[in-house]
Amino acid sequence: MGFVRVHDEVREYEVFARKTRLEPLRQVGAVVAPDDELAMAYARATYDEERWVEMMIVPKAAVIQLWAPGEEA
Amino acid sequence: MRYAEWCIAAPTLEADIAAAAMGLDDIGHSRVLYGSLRELGTPDVVDEPGSYANVPYLDRPWTDWTAFVAANGVLDTGFTLMIEALAGGNVEVLRSRLKKMLQEERYHAMHGRSWMRESGAVTAIDQARRDAVVWFGPEGSDVDDLHGKGILSLGVRELRRRLDEQVGGSAESAAIDWKAWDPMRRRINPGGIDELTLNMLQGLAEKRYMPAGA
Repeated sequence: MGFVRVHDEVREYEVFARKTRLEPLRQVGAVVAPDDELAMAYARATYDEERWVEMMIVPKAAVIQLWAPGEEA
Repeated sequence: MRYAEWCIAAPTLEADIAAAAMGLDDIGHSRVLYGSLRELGTPDVVDEPGSYANVPYLDRPWTDWTAFVAANGVLDTGFTLMIEALAGGNVEVLRSRLKKMLQEERYHAMHGRSWMRESGAVTAIDQARRDAVVWFGPEGSDVDDLHGKGILSLGVRELRRRLDEQVGGSAESAAIDWKAWDPMRRRINPGGIDELTLNMLQGLAEKRYMPAGA
């Protein structure tokens, strides 16, 4: 879903990170940007206050939902 | 310092945060570079207006977001190319210390490139590109001399070529009149940084907020 802010078209991205190789990736936040490059720059600027060993972003549109709260599995 | 001025004035909250983060990165980079220079035996310079070797683009606060975008996309790329040349040279202190700086600058470049794609900052980009080329210096100057000694892994011509490649357009070095180039301050234009910013850089501005006798 696109919506208009400063940019003509933006996308939402979920940000995932972990602090050690042993722990699973977890969602630490989200960013909104017009392209992948700016989304990466924003994710790093916004969420780099902790010592992550790994960080990645995923376009929210790429996430395939199986069911949502209140829905049957 | 100029990045920090935009940390509450950028077009989006995310860009505000990025401006603050990039400003902090660059303060850290300055500390590493000054520390390396000291370790390499470079004497401290007297902190006075004429000793600042900033590019003219940084003389005054930017009044338009496109000026930020061009500095971020073009000047920052120019500085990063020089850091790359130092990190690829034969001075061990610089080879080992500048790698983290290059990793952080990668995100500055992404931020600058993306905003340049949509901000229409043509005039500001041309000005920033010219300042970056002047900062590299003319062919056959100190940069090429250091390249010849292996201290820098890139010479002037290659620095310009990579700037063109990464930023787009042409560095138009032929249009620059090098006769007035100051090799110490690495600029052609006279002048320097504005007084208010200079006071902040020298720590004078903070003293105004301290109670008397503190």
